Amino acid sequence: MRDTARRTTAVVWTAGVTAVLAGMPLLARDRLPDRLATHWGLNGEAPDGSMPLWAASLVPALIWLVTAAAVTVPLMRAGPVARPWTAVTLLPMGIVLTGAQASVIRANLDRADWHEARQPTAWVVAILVAAVLAGVAGWLLVTRRRGTPLDDTTPEKAAPALDIPQGRRLVWFSRTANPWLQSLAAAIGLGAAGALVALVGGLADPGGLWALFAGCAAGSLACGVFSSVQARVSERGLEVSFGPLGWPGRRWAPGDIDTARMEVRRPSQVGGWGYRLSGLGTTVMLRAGECLVIRPRGRRTDFAISIDDAERGAALLNALRPGPTRG
Amino acid sequence: MLLSLDKTDTRPLHEQVAGAVRRAIAEGECAPGDRLPSARDLSEALDVNVNTVLRALRGLRDEGLLEFRRGRGVTVAEGARPHSELQIRVRELLAEAARLGYSRTDLVDMIRGMP
Repeated sequence: MRDTARRTTAVVWTAGVTAVLAGMPLLARDRLPDRLATHWGLNGEAPDGSMPLWAASLVPALIWLVTAAAVTVPLMRAGPVARPWTAVTLLPMGIVLTGAQASVIRANLDRADWHEARQPTAWVVAILVAAVLAGVAGWLLVTRRRGTPLDDTTPEKAAPALDIPQGRRLVWFSRTANPWLQSLAAAIGLGAAGALVALVGGLADPGGLWALFAGCAAGSLACGVFSSVQARVSERGLEVSFGPLGWPGRRWAPGDIDTARMEVRRPSQVGGWGYRLSGLGTTVMLRAGECLVIRPRGRRTDFAISIDDAERGAALLNALRPGPTRG
Repeated sequence: MLLSLDKTDTRPLHEQVAGAVRRAIAEGECAPGDRLPSARDLSEALDVNVNTVLRALRGLRDEGLLEFRRGRGVTVAEGARPHSELQIRVRELLAEAARLGYSRTDLVDMIRGMP
């Protein structure tokens, strides 16, 4: 019921914005020059790009349709929790495109030639501000109406606990690696090394090379750190460490964890690979599949890592937890 | 993989750690080619000195259950599962014999005397 309402809203919004984007230039065609100025330099003076009328009408509409499809289709597949992002992406995007189209029309209105069109900077700023406001409003609207989405899936019902025999000490180890991220990290790292060598050799303009080196090094590091993850559960609690060096890492004592459980998650649900913040809480996503999900004590959001054999890890963690909830 | 130590066990600690890893291999907790957690990880999780863990791992390497590879850490050797099962049974046999008052030499003689 609510689902179809949400879907209808998305479809109406997409179709409406498409109609406005494509329709505006056509409706005003009697007052517009043959070619429309569509791009201005940063100085706000003469335009430096133009399009024929039909292209000015079609191109923004096509850009909009493609983005709307790219945003909606994966999120619809991802299930209910990830959907706030549809509103948060589509609302500002629609406003930016409509605002840009309106300002293009306004700048070209009653000009004999596109070279005469002028674009006031204030317009651009106003559009961007409106887009940010719309994004925030969309986020508040969607999350407020949904209430606290995770509370109806409170993990109490699915909290398996392992039976630890008297006088036994059980420890659980697991690790997961994503070879794609590892090779990506290596490839970008090579780029960084190449840039560094070129810098030292003085082969090219140092400004651009420094930027390339810094970008590649940071990217390689980020990919490398989240390309593999190790987890262990012992009497010390849950310890998670990232990357080949096991650093950085995080630790929760058994008393700091409310519940632990296994959940199947996909990158499309949490917004991609790596260290992800989403409606599901924090997820360290390396691959689709089993995730160990914990609810830290006193928190309202979960922490999850994609790791093999998560079910037993969660069961052991639940068994090690002190207090009356223990079965 | 799940490792289990008996807190009431009186055997030397390195033997207990080796026993836990051997049992994990026998029960298929870690397959041949799998990488074992690092000695430091094992020692922290089991609350045992890291040298004790290393001693246990070296013992298992000498039994042919583990392989130490430079740069790849410690991995489970090919065909380690049946070997670890046999090792466990030999140890059970030794313990049973000791309980009944036979020394190791008695046991060896017994095996030699088998047709």
